[in-house]
Amino acid sequence: MTNQTRTGRLPGLAIDPAAFEPADFEPAAIEPAVAEELGATRSASRGIFEAVWDLLTSMRFSLVVTLGMAVLGVLGALIIQVPAGVEADASAKLDWLAGVRPRFGGWTDILDSLQLFNVFNSIWFRGLTAFLTISLIACMVQRAPGLWRTATKPRITVGDGFFAHARERDSIVVRGDAADLATRTTAVLRRHHYRVVSEDDGAINFYADRFRWAPFGSLIGHLAIVVILAGVMVGALYGFRDNSFVIAEGSTAAVPSGDGLSLKLISFEDSYYTTTGAPSDYASELILFENGREVARQTVRVNDPLRYGQLSFFQSFYGPAARMTVTGTDGSVLFSDGVALAWETQDDGRSIGTFTLPGQDVTVWILATLGPGDTQVKPGQILVETYRASTGEPIDQVSIDQGVATTISGLDFTFDRELQFTGLSVARDPGTILVWIGSILLIAGFTIGFSFPHRRLWARLVVRPNGIGTLAVATPGRASHDVDRAFTNLVTDLRAAVAGPSAS
Amino acid sequence: MEKMSYYAFVSAMLVTAFALVLYVAYAISGLRAARMQTAGNGLGMRTGTLGLVVEPRTATFGRYGSILGWLAFAFLSAWLVFRTIATGHGPFANMYEFSVAFAWGILGAYYWFERSYHQRILGLLALPIALAMMLYAATIPNQIDPLLPALQNNLLLTVHVAVAIVAYGSFSIAFVAALLFLFQQRPIERAFGLGFTVSLLALVVGAILSALLVGFVVAVIAGLVVGAIVYALDGRRGLATIDTSGGSWGLPRPAVLDEIGYKAVVVGFPFLAATIVLGALWAEVAWGRYWNWDPKETASLVTWLIYATYLHARVIRGWTGSRAAILLQIGFGATILTYFGNYFFGGLHSYAGLG
Ligand code: HEM
Repeated sequence: MTNQTRTGRLPGLAIDPAAFEPADFEPAAIEPAVAEELGATRSASRGIFEAVWDLLTSMRFSLVVTLGMAVLGVLGALIIQVPAGVEADASAKLDWLAGVRPRFGGWTDILDSLQLFNVFNSIWFRGLTAFLTISLIACMVQRAPGLWRTATKPRITVGDGFFAHARERDSIVVRGDAADLATRTTAVLRRHHYRVVSEDDGAINFYADRFRWAPFGSLIGHLAIVVILAGVMVGALYGFRDNSFVIAEGSTAAVPSGDGLSLKLISFEDSYYTTTGAPSDYASELILFENGREVARQTVRVNDPLRYGQLSFFQSFYGPAARMTVTGTDGSVLFSDGVALAWETQDDGRSIGTFTLPGQDVTVWILATLGPGDTQVKPGQILVETYRASTGEPIDQVSIDQGVATTISGLDFTFDRELQFTGLSVARDPGTILVWIGSILLIAGFTIGFSFPHRRLWARLVVRPNGIGTLAVATPGRASHDVDRAFTNLVTDLRAAVAGPSAS
Repeated sequence: MEKMSYYAFVSAMLVTAFALVLYVAYAISGLRAARMQTAGNGLGMRTGTLGLVVEPRTATFGRYGSILGWLAFAFLSAWLVFRTIATGHGPFANMYEFSVAFAWGILGAYYWFERSYHQRILGLLALPIALAMMLYAATIPNQIDPLLPALQNNLLLTVHVAVAIVAYGSFSIAFVAALLFLFQQRPIERAFGLGFTVSLLALVVGAILSALLVGFVVAVIAGLVVGAIVYALDGRRGLATIDTSGGSWGLPRPAVLDEIGYKAVVVGFPFLAATIVLGALWAEVAWGRYWNWDPKETASLVTWLIYATYLHARVIRGWTGSRAAILLQIGFGATILTYFGNYFFGGLHSYAGLG
């Protein structure tokens, strides 16, 4: 408390004391000379750094920033947002804009140039987030020393003005020996779970408080936001994600970015409720190999990812696949594997997949039937299209029956059987752990800050030589039900303990 | 069990409606008592120790209203238990279950605050919100569907939504306190408070009837009209002269309402934070990504930011009192829009869900 006049503010508070704790310290309690002197130095040395610092630590401004973020959030929730990946791809972006143009008309280009189709990556949002981060750090740096002083070196003696004007105050007539009364006062305060410090300057001054460390909870809660944002940053910088890792049943595929890892899909199962026909489960039975050695085996489901090291595999989507075998004219097997039909043709929505043949200048696309009524690719058939790999020029286009070897472009193609593929998201996000730690600190910090408000109380015992005196008690803070009740109870107990026999 | 839960739900709805009638009677007789007292008319009236009017009829209405409210809460709790048994998981998997649970949360929060602050009159506004949630629940399908794969995480589903219910219930109380607070301020604030409430209602109804645009237009117009009427009436009837510190019309003192609003946010704020974090945790487990900027997710973050703003506003000079109360109203608006997010964002934003 002794230091609080230094900035004309309460310890660690970015706001003026009058607004924060109206009755905390009346002007009378602050030595005017000190306040004046410091006020003068402040305005004289006020340069650009101070101005920026004042802005960053101003709660009023942080309020504007949070509201600004809220407004951007509303825009982001209401305006359709560009899917991830499209923004970076200029032609895809144009297609996408053309798609939303009917809905937004002339506003489309305006919204786009304001980056409102990509709010959460926009310069506005990033700017506000950066500002918020710096502001949070600045606020807490400014706040911490004051909180520390309040907790460790509280001011014990306060001026009379405080006892005369504090919102919660009382005065008890006492009778007896000063030392004895002081002991009783201390005992009552301790019984109410207060820590008590006292000082004798003719009168006996008491300072008592509870939960003096709890304000650090709120401090930690604020800094936790920085931790979370740091986690997001780490994820963006060092994380890796592939949302379209596809494996056909029976096949093994190299894990993107997973050095030496490969994943084999034993089987994929999608099941449905018999009652409603709604999906009940998607399950991929997977084996993970590291340099050819099995290191993990798990059935991955929607709520049950496979985690290995820093990598995680999540069930994401699924679809049809086909087992194909291709042999050369000499009878050597060029290809025999499952092929995921993970794309769709634009015109008729056929499932389509592709593979290449080692040592051949051929790219193969295979297309699935659309079901009964499809004349081009009948059920049980698959359409094979071959292209020159070097030039992209089409060669052949033949629908072949299942199980029948058919010669296309000089190679024997067999459609062995239908399969399914599973689509996984592969992610490595080293920032996640920071996000969780930050989240826990945030909730815990604010909960502690809220649940245990720092309660402070000052008392002054003056006993005149004739053995009669007063015990003045006062507590700062805004009027509140809880404080009121606690204070009343405390004063009642104090009165019972110290009021002289004749006074009571 | 499903039948039993349904009966419990219907009973809760009826009892809440009865309780509401008693609360209205309580409010009216309280208002009359307050009028007579200000008029200095002591006809057969006793004045209590604190100068409060103790008119037997008023107290009786209030007491029975409370008792019925407790009963409604008990019925909803029974609903919760029966439905949990019937479905095998926390009853939070579809809009029907979530809405009834929301009503439960509001009633719970209300009675919690009634116990600590003895301000029955909050129920006059809290019960209609709970009743509206139940009525809404009654109009939507309530069969028990088996869970889709993404929802098959009993622990996270239950905890995530249970925590959300506590937050939403608290924010409802904060809203009610803020409305009663604004009601006792200057005419312009009173007009804003009522206009905002009416337009929020219009917006939600419009969205539910899938006429979002109409709802929006009606909301703006109705808000302005109600605001204007209140404002005009104020001038004529001289209501403008009510004392902004003393508690008018038998209503609690503004300082008390301010404190109730704050306390409600103090509960709701960490719970909403927990809701968001649990949602992120779940998204990570199910989809591999803790944050997707999906509209509902975004909306809950916005809501949280608004309440953070409120918590700051309360300690900034010039932002306390009415401005803080207005932030509470906006915060509840955001809560409600987040809750009915499917109706709002569905039309504008077709979210390409994974899986
Ligand atoms: C999204 C960002 C923020 C959130 C969610 C947030 C949240 C909160 C909450 C919940 C409280 C009440 C804590 C309590 O009473 O124990 C609080 C208080 C406070 N905040 Fe923030 N805050 C944010 C940003 C900031 C920034 C940028 C500043 C700096 C200007 C700041 C300065 C303060 C101060 C000084 C208090 C103290 C008031 C008090 O002790 O009651 N906050 N904040």
